[in-house]
Amino acid sequence: MRPRTVKLARDLWVARGRVTVMVVGIAVALSGVGALLIARSVISRESAAAYAATNPASATLDVEGGVDAALLSAVRARPRIVDATARQTIFTRVLVEGQWRRMLLFVIAPDDPLTIAGFRVESGAWPPPDDGLLIERAADTILHANTGDSLAVAGPTGATTSVRITGTVYDPALAPAAQERTGYGYLTPAALERLGFTPVADQLKITVGSGTVDRDQSTVDAVARDLSGWLTSNGQRVHQIQAPPFQHPHQRQTNAVTALFLAFAVAALILAGALVASTLGGMLAAQTRQIGVMKTVGATTGQLLRMYLSAAVGIAAVATVLAVGPGLMAGYGLVDLVGGLLNVDIADRSLPWWVPAGFIAAGLGIPVLVALVPILRAARITVRAALDDHGAGSRVGLRRSDRWLARLRGNRTVLMAVRNLMRRRSRLALTVVLLAAGGALFTGGLNAASAWRAWVDNGLDRRGYDAELELAQPAPADTLLAAVREVPGVTAVEPALSVAATPADAGGRIEVQRTYPDGGHGRFTLTGLPPGTGMLDLEILDGRWLRPGDHNGVVLNQAASTRLAGPAIGAEVGIAVDGQVSRWRVIGVVAEVGGPAIAYTTPDALAPITGADRVSAIRIRTTGDQQTVTDRVETAIAASGATVTSTMPTSELRNAIDGHIVIFVYVLVVLAALMATVGVLGLGSAMSITVIERTREYGIMQAIGATPRVVRRLVLTEGALTGAIGCFVAIALGIPLSALIGDLLGRLSFGLPLPLQVSVGGLATWLVLIIVGAVGATLTAAQRAAGLTIRETLSYQ
Amino acid sequence: MNTLSSITGPVVDVRAATKVYTTPGGDFPALREVDLHVSAGEFVAVVGRSGSGKTTLLNLLAGIDHPMSGEVWIGGTAVHTLGERHLAAWRGRVVGLVFQFFQLLPTLTVAENVMLPMDFCDTVPAKRRRTAAVELLERVGIGEQADKLPAALSGGQQQRAAIARALANDPPVVLADEPTGNLDSATAAAVLELFAELADAGKAVVMVTHERDLTGVAGRRVTLVDGRVDADVAVPA
Repeated sequence: MRPRTVKLARDLWVARGRVTVMVVGIAVALSGVGALLIARSVISRESAAAYAATNPASATLDVEGGVDAALLSAVRARPRIVDATARQTIFTRVLVEGQWRRMLLFVIAPDDPLTIAGFRVESGAWPPPDDGLLIERAADTILHANTGDSLAVAGPTGATTSVRITGTVYDPALAPAAQERTGYGYLTPAALERLGFTPVADQLKITVGSGTVDRDQSTVDAVARDLSGWLTSNGQRVHQIQAPPFQHPHQRQTNAVTALFLAFAVAALILAGALVASTLGGMLAAQTRQIGVMKTVGATTGQLLRMYLSAAVGIAAVATVLAVGPGLMAGYGLVDLVGGLLNVDIADRSLPWWVPAGFIAAGLGIPVLVALVPILRAARITVRAALDDHGAGSRVGLRRSDRWLARLRGNRTVLMAVRNLMRRRSRLALTVVLLAAGGALFTGGLNAASAWRAWVDNGLDRRGYDAELELAQPAPADTLLAAVREVPGVTAVEPALSVAATPADAGGRIEVQRTYPDGGHGRFTLTGLPPGTGMLDLEILDGRWLRPGDHNGVVLNQAASTRLAGPAIGAEVGIAVDGQVSRWRVIGVVAEVGGPAIAYTTPDALAPITGADRVSAIRIRTTGDQQTVTDRVETAIAASGATVTSTMPTSELRNAIDGHIVIFVYVLVVLAALMATVGVLGLGSAMSITVIERTREYGIMQAIGATPRVVRRLVLTEGALTGAIGCFVAIALGIPLSALIGDLLGRLSFGLPLPLQVSVGGLATWLVLIIVGAVGATLTAAQRAAGLTIRETLSYQ
Repeated sequence: MNTLSSITGPVVDVRAATKVYTTPGGDFPALREVDLHVSAGEFVAVVGRSGSGKTTLLNLLAGIDHPMSGEVWIGGTAVHTLGERHLAAWRGRVVGLVFQFFQLLPTLTVAENVMLPMDFCDTVPAKRRRTAAVELLERVGIGEQADKLPAALSGGQQQRAAIARALANDPPVVLADEPTGNLDSATAAAVLELFAELADAGKAVVMVTHERDLTGVAGRRVTLVDGRVDADVAVPA
């Protein structure tokens, strides 16, 4: 083996502690990068494939009176329509262990070929018998029931009918049941009739294209509108058109969040690269004279560059190999976790070529590129400068700032520590950058998590009701409210009147809705609330809340404002109900947590559309056992002749909101911890190099009377000071970073940036972590410094 | 040996070399128009007090430093015109450097230290390097120490190893900076004998020392005072 290779190998062996730190730093960060590359690539591909495999309808048109076989044939024969089918969807509820849950029934004729909006039967058989249904497999956690069990499903009057679960299906086109807090059932029209509903296949589902399905949204919209016009001209009334994007309802959020995480992981890897640069830079600084000697015996800059670069490559390569296992485990773990959350089967676990390529490129490329800076500096040093090197900061005392530092007075140990820190400024800067970046990402991640929680808490606190009961049909308000007020345990009651609506553009053209088949994602409603409502106190973002007399005014929540293209206060917007466009003036924009896009107005303003004195939902505030009181309210409503179709306790809304994103917040925290680890490793490494560089100085200090305790205290003080500087910079950087992350998370989940929230717990954790980390990381170096004998230190070259 | 046989006249030829260092206390002239000519086979001791310019002169000869004015020619090469990139390879082949503190690389064995210049300059085929290194170590009297790490050797042995390393590429010029400054007198005398033998073998040896007593083995003594050549005399055998 070449002597230079032998030297390199032995030098690395001598510094194996620091080499281990570098390898661990890179491996930890690279594992994160690998895991997220795997998760992102596999999940995106598989959820897209699973969604596409159901052959979802390009568009669904609500056709009044239903679609018969003749009409269906005529539709299929129309241009640019590949296929068509007629279905029905019923929103009802089911009694699960004494509690009502929302239930969505998909009604499909037994002879439906299931070529549109299909599903895979996992157990049992399709079609189920008239007294049975199939459930979506992920709904078992909501329904607490499985194949063979019976469900008490509410009919149009609220009375329940027992229905057997005869099997399960896999339907990845739907948002997961657990997250939506909704059970999904699949049954025939005959089974629906048995529940008391009237079977009417009023949903015309089409796929658009010429021969093959065309997923272009504008083409789909155009064909759907064209079909709607044709139906209308043939005497069929179309209430709304739904054409959701051709992707899983949660695909966009998943993509964006995994991209954010990947950015975090890459940032951690860059930090690990900085750790390598700092540590390798320190090792090279300690070898400056040796570099000078090698140059005197003929080593060229290029040879030294290649030599030390190969060390960086070797370290990165070992770390890359070590990161493969954890990266794969964490990556596929995340794939299974997110796949489970999305209710998507991972049929193909293979990785696209760019994942291993990206992993290797990141593992070798980023640390080596960052390490190139100190390596270049070391390799290009002149022989004279190298041979004249006398350890840390040989220029100390010549700089103006040194003279300024010399004028400082105070505790001697602290003063010495401060002056020592300023001797190797670039290393101090790199260490501080490492700590600060790690800390900023750590506190930024925790702040964002805290902001998320605070935003949800605040949003739910603004709902001054404990439960909302939706009615199957609007009912007379006065009678109903009077009946509910009498219920023991109800402390307050308010009406709400919601109608499904559609934004319309300035020309009065009705917007094609982006609502998914679950009826939730992409929904838009026009809701009438008493202007002085005590049940809802939404944060006003612009304009004002409703007042009595606002006859054509609407207050939009942020989702509705986005759907209406962000109208200014005072602007006029068009909203269509049942195909009829009405004009409204925007008087305010509010922030709302959870729920669909809503345009709020007064009941009076809604009266021309819905009829006066109507109510479609009741909001109640209760005391005592909420479930008992809610049950009593339902009984009272039933006695008044109305039927409750769903009951949503506010706590259940929280579960639904958390279910959408809480896992991502946890992953964010884990990534933040990873950053912190790399930062603390950097500090430990820097302190160990500092001690080695100043070995002779410690000897001199001891020779003139310093005890080992004084030396230890000095080193520890330097570590603590570095940690403190890093910590303050981290906090300063963490705040804008928190805002950035909060902005992204908030827009993804609520359509609004999360408010800046400083997590006191996060800050305290970071402070403790840094103090413990700095002391722990420095202690080894300090012990080493204090343990050196004067003879050892003075003979050190 | 790199005999530089095509060169006639002095192997080391310094012409009116001047070097001034800029310090916070002002300019410090380390060398003032120094001339020095050393032929192959000559052993020249450069003496002077601390700050007289001895080490600066040696640095100019090794291409470690450049003169502000004047010229430095080594074996027909205008060293003062070479850039860092070319200097390293040139130095490895033409100049053997010996330092006061030996400067052996601590993680390489003695033999590996000697093989290092051969490796960097690719002067000896890889398979022959070990044999060549051991031969050189035997020549300086420490062949049996070849596989030890430098820390396991005495000061005198380490300096012999450093001399062997300086000879690894068989350079025509050997430069030594206070090579005996860290050795006891008996060992110092033995090291000086070694330099004399190298000169006898045809190498131009320039040794910097502040110990005038040790210059007896050199054939010539150049005395520097305040950066000028104060005396350049032959030393009687």
